[in-house]
This record gives sequence, structure tokens and C-alpha cells, in this order.
Amino acid sequence: MNASKFVKLKKELRWYPFVIVSVIALILFVYIPMFRTVQYSLYDVSIVGYGEKFCGLKNYRTLFGQSQFLKSILNTVILTLLSLITIPIGFLLAVAINSFGRTKIQSFFRIGYYLPNIITGVSVILMFQAVLQGHGGLLNTFLSAILHREITIGWISDVKYAKLGATILWIWQSSGYAMLINLASLQAIPTELYEAASVDGANSFHKITRITMPLMKDCFTFLFVTGVINGLSRFTDLYILGGNSSAGIPSGSLQTILMYIYQYSFETPNFGLSSAGSMILFALVFVFTLANVKLTGFMDVENN
Amino acid sequence: MKSQKIGKVATIVILGVILAIVLVPIWWTIVLSFDRTATTQLPEFSWWPHEFSTFNYTAAAKIIDIGRYYFNTLFLAAVNTLISVFFAMMCGFAFAKGKFHGKKIIYILMLAVMMVPFESRMVPLYIEYRDWGLLNTYWPLILGQFAYAYGAFFARQNIASIPDSLLESVYLDGGGVWRGFFSIILPLSKPIIATLCILQFIAQWNSYLWPLVVIRDLKKQVISVGVAFFNAQQNSVYYGPRMAVAVLSAIPLTIVFLFLQKNIVASIAVSGMKQ
Repeated sequence: MNASKFVKLKKELRWYPFVIVSVIALILFVYIPMFRTVQYSLYDVSIVGYGEKFCGLKNYRTLFGQSQFLKSILNTVILTLLSLITIPIGFLLAVAINSFGRTKIQSFFRIGYYLPNIITGVSVILMFQAVLQGHGGLLNTFLSAILHREITIGWISDVKYAKLGATILWIWQSSGYAMLINLASLQAIPTELYEAASVDGANSFHKITRITMPLMKDCFTFLFVTGVINGLSRFTDLYILGGNSSAGIPSGSLQTILMYIYQYSFETPNFGLSSAGSMILFALVFVFTLANVKLTGFMDVENN
Repeated sequence: MKSQKIGKVATIVILGVILAIVLVPIWWTIVLSFDRTATTQLPEFSWWPHEFSTFNYTAAAKIIDIGRYYFNTLFLAAVNTLISVFFAMMCGFAFAKGKFHGKKIIYILMLAVMMVPFESRMVPLYIEYRDWGLLNTYWPLILGQFAYAYGAFFARQNIASIPDSLLESVYLDGGGVWRGFFSIILPLSKPIIATLCILQFIAQWNSYLWPLVVIRDLKKQVISVGVAFFNAQQNSVYYGPRMAVAVLSAIPLTIVFLFLQKNIVASIAVSGMKQ
């Protein structure tokens, strides 16, 4: 090795301490566990360490032959689709709030509408157990008042309405976030574009549909993809609403994929089955994240 | 111009009414928490407690040690935020300004983590900690923080925009990369550090599933799990104390938000944008 090469190597070596801790953490806590998930999903194993046997794709066949798992996928998909309504709500709020310019009124509404999103998640769930209650709940009181007849829908206890109730909670909690992201994106649009359109005689509706919405494509894509990813791994609120049970109370209508995985990991352990479920969750999230990367150019790996 | 003014007033009124509807549940929760009549049945809706009392709070205090949960959660959130953001800055610096073999591979390995949902590797991770005998300690909650992929990505974007000439002047003075990191990069990265700290702290404060899985001893639990456990015990009985606990667990973050709302709102908005 000649001297200049040695100097170069020494120069390179200075950089490894900056990344080494994170790299070790990545290997130990991300990549090894991920490969283990793949492995367990191919093994017949109830609790790891007490005997395991390779069984090929048996766990996957069991999953797709099991109505409970298929139902949990269907529940997750329905809940996720319903939750996406926060995007148009957030957009409309953002357009209205943005119309005030950067004034005190704007920041007042921005804080007000964002507040539900900052409240500790578990508090929101406790709150909505009262709001969505069939007898004396706030939502039914409100509906009774405007419909002039007594409404006693069990928003989280009736199988027919539970998904709607869970979605109302989600909308209440997440619309502020969608508003904030939409607002930031709106404010990045140069005002000259609107001025030019005004000169051409465009009205406000045309300005929104012809200028604003096309320019917000990236923002919508981002909210759509992150919304889908969050929806796919929904767990906490539905678990607590069911009284700390992953069964998806009432009668399994709120059991998501992740609650299924939790049930077969920690309540009635069958690690083989829950790992196969995890792989399916992983595949779904992976597809959507990849779509996000491709569509918005987020995470572009460019050399500098 | 007159129609424009009417439009503006109408927008304020509509937004105001919707906002009021959105915020009523919060007010009602506070009212219930002070209402002695909120027992096993929800009392009729009212804007003020039917029978004002602090009974619900004293009753809740007997069943749930919320002070302890505050402390545990605050401790973990602070430690984890510090660790994750500091190591994210180190990685971001190396990715943005470093020249070394394997840089691109390591960067891609780190970004790829964002495509692997935590939940899909949760079971083997649990088994890993079980085999190391670390269940029911804080290590499983802390060790994973040493690789904060999202933070490293944002840190890299920001550090890349700091001119190389500033670092070169440090090197010319005989300083090394570490001095460059501490005396140039960190001081110039205050905004991104603040943003990452805010995002991490909120995420940590709300973490639920992983603490639920690895911590068995209720005394060591974080606030979300502790409150949910209390809630499950109290399920469908005694609304008053439950609402009192809901109020108490919401207070810290809400106060922080009201004080730092400008920074928090900006941080959340930035997190959704590619830069």
C-alpha cells in the first residue's frame, strides 16, 4: 500500500464512527428480526424455543383458509378507505383557512382545528367512548336534537355501526393533520399564478380546480399513501375501544390485520401464523411505500 | 369589494361553527370530569356540571398513579428523543458530507427501514429481547432509538445545504470531522434539530403497542398503556373518574402545544413535505 492510498483510507475511516452505532442498531433491531419473521412464517411453531418444524407455506394456506383472517383484512380495507375522507376534509378546511392570508384569524383557525390531533391519543379514545355511547352519548344527543326524535345508536357497540363510529373518531382526530399538510402545500403555490388567472377572468372555483388542485398532486399523493399505511397498521384506538382486547369488539367487526397478529402473538400464541400475517402486512405496506417513492420522488437517492 | 367582504365574514362564521362542533367533545369531557352525577350512566348533556365536584379526580387518584406514569413517560420520551435525534444528526452528517466506502449501501439500508413497518418485525424483536432477558426493562424501548431512519434522512437533506467551505475552514485550522460536527453542523442545524425533537417527542408520548408488549410491570408502564389499563378495568362503569383521567393525561402535551404551537405546527407541516 502506498502512502497516498493510506492517507485516503485514513480519511475515510474518520467517517465510520458517525454511522456505526446506527448500523449496528439497524442490523440487530430491524434486519435480523425481519428475516426471522420470514423464517417463522415458514415454520410450525406456537412459542419460539419450545420446538419448531419447517412446514413450507402451510401457515399462509391456513391464513387464507381462515374466515377470521380474511375478515380482518376486509375490516382493515374498509376502515382504511373510510379514513381517507380526512383528505378532502383537510383540503376544504385548508382552502377556507388559507383565504384569510397570513393573519391572526388564519393562525387561530389553524391552531383550533389542529388541536384534536395534538391531544394524547389515549385521552381521545376515552373521550369518544363517552361521545359515541348509545345512551347519553354526545353524538346521539346532537342527532336527536337536530332530527327531533330520540336516537340511540350504539356507535361502538352495534356491529352495524361500529366501523362508522371508529371512523368518526378517526376523522375527528386526523382531519387537523390533513388540514395542516394541505395548508403548507397551498402556501407554497406562488400567488402570481392566481393573479394571472384573475387577469384572464377566472373565477374562484376555476382557480381551485385548474390551478390549486393540479399543483397539489404531490400533497394528495403523500396524504393518500401515508393514510393507507397508517390505516393498514391501525391498532391502538380499536384495541382500547374494545376494552384492551384484540378481538375487535363488537364481534370481530373492528379486528384489523395488526390486531389479528397481536392476538396470535401474545394472547393465543401461534408465532408461525402471526409471522405469516406479519409478512402479509409487510407486503401491503411495502407496495404502498414503494408507490409513494415512485410517485412523489420522496427519498430520492442521489449522489452528491 | 362588498361581496368579497360578505364572503369573508361567511367563511369566518362557517369555520367558527364547525370548529365549535369539533371542540364540544373536549369541553364536555372536562365538564363530565367535574360532574358528581357522571357515574355508571352518562348524565344528560350540559354545558356545565350538574353537580360540581372534584370527587372524580380524588377517586381516580386512588385507583391510578398518574404521576408515576407522567414521570415514566417523560423520562422515556426525553431519553429517546435525545438519543434518536443525536444519532440521526451524526448519520445525516456522514451521509451529506462524508466520503467513504459503503456510504450508498448504508444509506439505502437505512432508508429501506421506512418500508418495513415496525409491526411486521415485532414478534421476533420481542423474542430477541426475551432471550436476552431484557423484557420488563426499558432497554427494548430505548435501544431501537439508536437508528432513527426518518431523522437521518431529514438531517442529511438539511446538512447537505450547509456550504462545504465552512467545514474546510475548520479542517484548515487543524480541526477534525468531530470538531466540524460539533462547532459547525450542530449549531447551524438548530431548526431541523428542533423539528425532529418535536416529532419524536410527540411520537414517544403517544407510543402504545411496543410498551404494551415488552413491559409487564404496570408500575413501569407509560401513560398510554397505564390509562388504557385503568380504562379497561373501569369499562362501562364510572364515567366521571374516566373522564378525569382523560383530562389529566391530555394536559401535558396540550400545554406544551399551546406554548410552542408555532414551532409544532411548522414541524408537522415540514414532516409532510419532501424538501
